[in-house]
Amino acid sequence: MHGKNVELDKVVMRFGGFTAVQQTSLEIRAGEFFSILGPSGCGKTTILRMVSGFIEPSEGRVRIGGDDMGGRGPARRPTALIFQNLALFPLMSNWENVAFGLEARGLDKRTRRERAYELLALVGLEGKEAQRPGALSGGQRQRVAIARALAVEPAVLLLDEPLSALDLKLRQYMRAELKAIQRKTGVTFIFITHDQGEALTMSDRIAVMRAGVVEQVGTTDEIYDRPATPFVATFVGENNVLSGTVAEADAAYARIETPLGPVRARNQDALAAGQRAMVFVRPERASLVNGHDLDNRLTGRFERRDLEGSYVNLFFTVGDQPFIVHEPNLDRQAALEGEVRLGFQADDAVAMRAGALDDA
Amino acid sequence: MRDLVRSYGKTLTTIFVALVCFWVLIMIVLPQAFMIEQSLWTMQRDSALGVKIDRAYADLATMNYDLGNARDESAKTALQAKIDALQAGISDMEQRETKPHKIYGLQNYTAMSGLHFRIFVKSIVYALAVTVLALLVCYPLAFTIAKLATPQRAALLLLGLVIPYAINELLRVYAWLMILDYQGVINSALEALGLVSFQDKTWVPFLEYSGSVFVALIYAYVLFMVFPIYNTVETLDKNQLEAAEDLGGSIWRTHWRVVIPHAKPGIAVGCIMTFMLSVGSYSVPQIMTRGKSGDWFSQLIYRQFFETQSWNLGAAYAFSLVLVCLVFILLMMKLFGVGIRDIAK
Ligand SMILES: Nc1ncnc2c1ncn2[C@@H]1O[C@H](COP(=O)(O)OP(=O)(O)O)[C@@H](O)[C@H]1O
Ligand SMILES: [Mg+2]
Repeated sequence: MHGKNVELDKVVMRFGGFTAVQQTSLEIRAGEFFSILGPSGCGKTTILRMVSGFIEPSEGRVRIGGDDMGGRGPARRPTALIFQNLALFPLMSNWENVAFGLEARGLDKRTRRERAYELLALVGLEGKEAQRPGALSGGQRQRVAIARALAVEPAVLLLDEPLSALDLKLRQYMRAELKAIQRKTGVTFIFITHDQGEALTMSDRIAVMRAGVVEQVGTTDEIYDRPATPFVATFVGENNVLSGTVAEADAAYARIETPLGPVRARNQDALAAGQRAMVFVRPERASLVNGHDLDNRLTGRFERRDLEGSYVNLFFTVGDQPFIVHEPNLDRQAALEGEVRLGFQADDAVAMRAGALDDA
Repeated sequence: MRDLVRSYGKTLTTIFVALVCFWVLIMIVLPQAFMIEQSLWTMQRDSALGVKIDRAYADLATMNYDLGNARDESAKTALQAKIDALQAGISDMEQRETKPHKIYGLQNYTAMSGLHFRIFVKSIVYALAVTVLALLVCYPLAFTIAKLATPQRAALLLLGLVIPYAINELLRVYAWLMILDYQGVINSALEALGLVSFQDKTWVPFLEYSGSVFVALIYAYVLFMVFPIYNTVETLDKNQLEAAEDLGGSIWRTHWRVVIPHAKPGIAVGCIMTFMLSVGSYSVPQIMTRGKSGDWFSQLIYRQFFETQSWNLGAAYAFSLVLVCLVFILLMMKLFGVGIRDIAK
């Protein structure tokens, strides 16, 4: 099996008067694990269905391995789709499920059966071949679906939130499993999810979507450390937000006047004085001052402390808005009370042009 | 039962149970039991009995006359004894004439003439053909409504299927009669095209073919085939169809491997209903053939009851048909691998 690259070239999808996907261009590389991340209803499934051929884009082209897919149905594209609800055939045994695609290709029964058994072994389901999907657990059904999709030797595997129905433990296990299968087969994976943790742990690269628009495409580190928009900053990981107006700015840094006092931050969007701005600080990059020499200082009222295990979540109110600080759990924190001094470095804060936040 | 009592109280439960028993008894057990009983006996009628009784009365009169003329006391008593015996014999014969003997046995079932048996088999074969044709027509229809049409269009189509059923079955069949008649709609159209001529009577005699009965039967019972299939196909997850398509399954393979296995209970129910309704249909063959292309078995049964007055034979014919239907049901269940529970759904 070989992965192929997938190219969305100025693709638009409209349903009647409603535009589900605004003009989008994406280049997904051969053999990579690519995630499309976004809240429910933002158009992720629609993109997947354009790639798999169930719908034709209203405008633009889809190319796989350089070939234009226009007018080709799902059966004639080198893709296989794993549905959100898996869509296994409940009245067939597991091996027949896996062999369905081979049956459609006219392979004889013995070859089909051998191939199906091999694939079920690949996903760790030896001994379950003759059972029906209904007799399996959620995680096992998942694997049958993966084996069934791999049976047709796709160059691109499309996965529509396949882990969302599983419980937490199994989900984490399946993340590793999926990643391992992707490495082993070299197939291009396009993985859809609304779970940013899932996207960050599994992907090579991520596209973050909001309301039919891809807001940022990048490696997991880029998405997390260099969010391009306020939405990405708040949807991926946690972020504290301070709003204000740019007082002065140069190429590297900007000083923003906020109701809580002036704040210095990286000037990512090349903001000029007088513009509205939002400043984002990750909770783990902010800290209690305790004598440190920090670029930005705030005073917050301590609200509560949540133990998360390896770190603690400290909740403050700064002015009239919440502010969160993560501190490593070193078992030597003095009890906090009343007004507390907080701060962060200018390099750990990013100023952006004001825009939509993750409203969830 | 205890659950019922707990949730509805004693009185209501009693009423429920009584109603169910009543329904089972009146609607199911009694009519069938009556029919089976009827079918299992014949009247022993001695046609010479009337003559024998007449002769006995004549003998009696003679003896009474002899008795009046007899002198000898011992001869008198002997005659009296003879008269008494004869009188007892007469009343016995009279009894037998008004209340003839029932003779139980399978004679009604074995008495079917060769002609009637041929009609019996023919009716079953025709009903099977109607069922198969109806299935071929209705499966694509049901699938289209359930999976391909938009919800609004599906509702319209279903409504369109149901509306004709607001009209009496007889009228619906008569409509087909008018369409297929010698000078009916189709032949008129053919004449307009110059293909047939009413004057030379070169019309196509549709009504003389069994096909016309098939058409009317399919039309009359389409709903009973469409709805069960529609109901099961409706519950099929659309993603399964897409998954099959995505894996390269052709339309045929997808239907054969995915849709039909899912719709089996509906198909079985549809076939059973259509078969039973067509094999037992009286009005459709009666109206459509106007007696021109031979009897259907249902018409034979009707005649046994209401024309020849042989209720016992009629009951045996009718019950034979019930047996055929039962066999058909069992066959369908076996063929489609569905249990009685799936069918009840
Ligand atoms: N076939 C369709 N017809 C009309 N609207 C659709 C159709 N498919 C999706 N949509 C709309 O497009 C938007 C994006 O849907 P979808 O791609 O399924 O979102 P996601 O997978 O991100 O949750 C939704 O508002 C949805 O209602
Ligand atoms: Mg979706």
